[in-house]
Amino acid sequence: MNHAIISCLHANLPAVEAVLNDIDRQGIHTITCLGDLVGYGPQPNEVVELIRKRGIATCQGCWDEDIIDGLNACECSYPSQLAERRGHLAHQWTDDQLTGENKSFLASLPTSLRRDRLLFVHGSPNSQHEYLLPDMDAFAALERVETAGADILFCGHTHQPYVRELRDGSIHVRLQNADHDCGQGEELTLPMRKIVNAGSVGEPRHGSTNATYVIHNDATDEVEIKEVAYDVARTCHAIVEAGLPKVFAWRLSHGFEFAEQAEDSSHVCER
Amino acid sequence: MIERWALVSGLRGNLETYDLIQRDLKKTRGVTALFVLGDLVGPECNCDALLDRLKNPHRGDLKPDCIYGWWEEQLLAERGFRGERKADGLRLSQGEDAVTALLNMVNPSHLNWLASLQFGFIELDCALIHGSSSDVGDNLTSETSPLILLDRLTRLNVNRLFTARSTKQFHLELTGGGINSQVKDLNGKREQQQEVPKRSVIGIGAGVNYTLYDVGSDKTHFLTAGSQTKTKGMGFA
Ligand SMILES: [Zn+2]
Ligand SMILES: [Zn+2]
Repeated sequence: MNHAIISCLHANLPAVEAVLNDIDRQGIHTITCLGDLVGYGPQPNEVVELIRKRGIATCQGCWDEDIIDGLNACECSYPSQLAERRGHLAHQWTDDQLTGENKSFLASLPTSLRRDRLLFVHGSPNSQHEYLLPDMDAFAALERVETAGADILFCGHTHQPYVRELRDGSIHVRLQNADHDCGQGEELTLPMRKIVNAGSVGEPRHGSTNATYVIHNDATDEVEIKEVAYDVARTCHAIVEAGLPKVFAWRLSHGFEFAEQAEDSSHVCER
Repeated sequence: MIERWALVSGLRGNLETYDLIQRDLKKTRGVTALFVLGDLVGPECNCDALLDRLKNPHRGDLKPDCIYGWWEEQLLAERGFRGERKADGLRLSQGEDAVTALLNMVNPSHLNWLASLQFGFIELDCALIHGSSSDVGDNLTSETSPLILLDRLTRLNVNRLFTARSTKQFHLELTGGGINSQVKDLNGKREQQQEVPKRSVIGIGAGVNYTLYDVGSDKTHFLTAGSQTKTKGMGFA
């Protein structure tokens, strides 16, 4: 059966509507959302209400968490002070706009969802703020999936969709120890695991302005990355109208970010 | 001169143990540094005398470099040094009485000094941490999955991680292996091969069980303070 995974909607209603239409058209009924319903974009209430109305299973994203808990995330989410200031502006604006009911909904979201051997998270199983980038250390990537007890880990947060297969892994170890020196050592064979990043519906940064999401077939394990065009100009206009930083509109109309990502993908927020 | 480190943890207020170790070290050739990897305090006995000695070494003591451990974390949290957090780990595992006992064993005048201790040291290509970079309570042993050990090393980008939390003594080397990875995105597919880097995790023990590490030869010696048999060949005068 095919099911769809969406992430990082970021209060961009035209993009969310276009993606949901695309999923509906294919007759797919199971949709899982990996969070970041709000932030950056101009329609936080509309997007949250649409997800609630459709009853889409959702985990909590980094923005959803920060709106509820206040901005006590460590600066690792922001690579520069400028980016941080803009982020704070958008945070304040979103905080002012969101209704109490929608905030309670975001507060009620779980940090992960599990269906059999599939695990759904926003950033990583460790934190909503950790980036699992496509080129991060392969062993560290496998550790995230393995420690979480999953075969396939679905994540978002990077806004770049990808499918990563980790296989044929092994680690040889040897104990250097005065008491029992076993010179031979042991070999651990690592299991095959997959990380699927759903990209971003409302704030794509993969080099195109199209919204992205993924479809997974749970019988064949095949994953397809989907791109959907939507009315970018409409959202950009609404961003400027709302008085949000213009750079957010610029980013949407270019489809990539300009030095706006934490550099150290292995950094784990320890707050 | 070869560099030789002494690594100690889990003293938990026991000045006698510390004194035994200092005496051992005086007789051991070439020890250039003494690292105390946390758990200076504990709920079993009054810790004030040990803390005084660590802060103000006796003449002839090898000067200790201390970091904080799981017990300090519990104490500092309960005493309001960790924001909203309290000694939840201790409360959950050993109950309210243990929390009260811990508070009673450390005079509050030591708290600021304990709070000033670092989470870990990076020396050369080695990390010295009570648990791991993931958590001060991270319980790494030689039985821990090598995948997790490798992850803890990778997070710090070091070749050796010295850890104390498990109280075990071990020196586990990652000697080889690899992994294949294929990334597919909207630009196509790419393959990557990665090898296991030659790295190791060293458990330094606790209490009277401490470790000497010869930096140049990458050799560990697991010792027990006050026992002459094990220390033979260690350059004891
Ligand atoms: Zn996002
Ligand atoms: Zn995020």
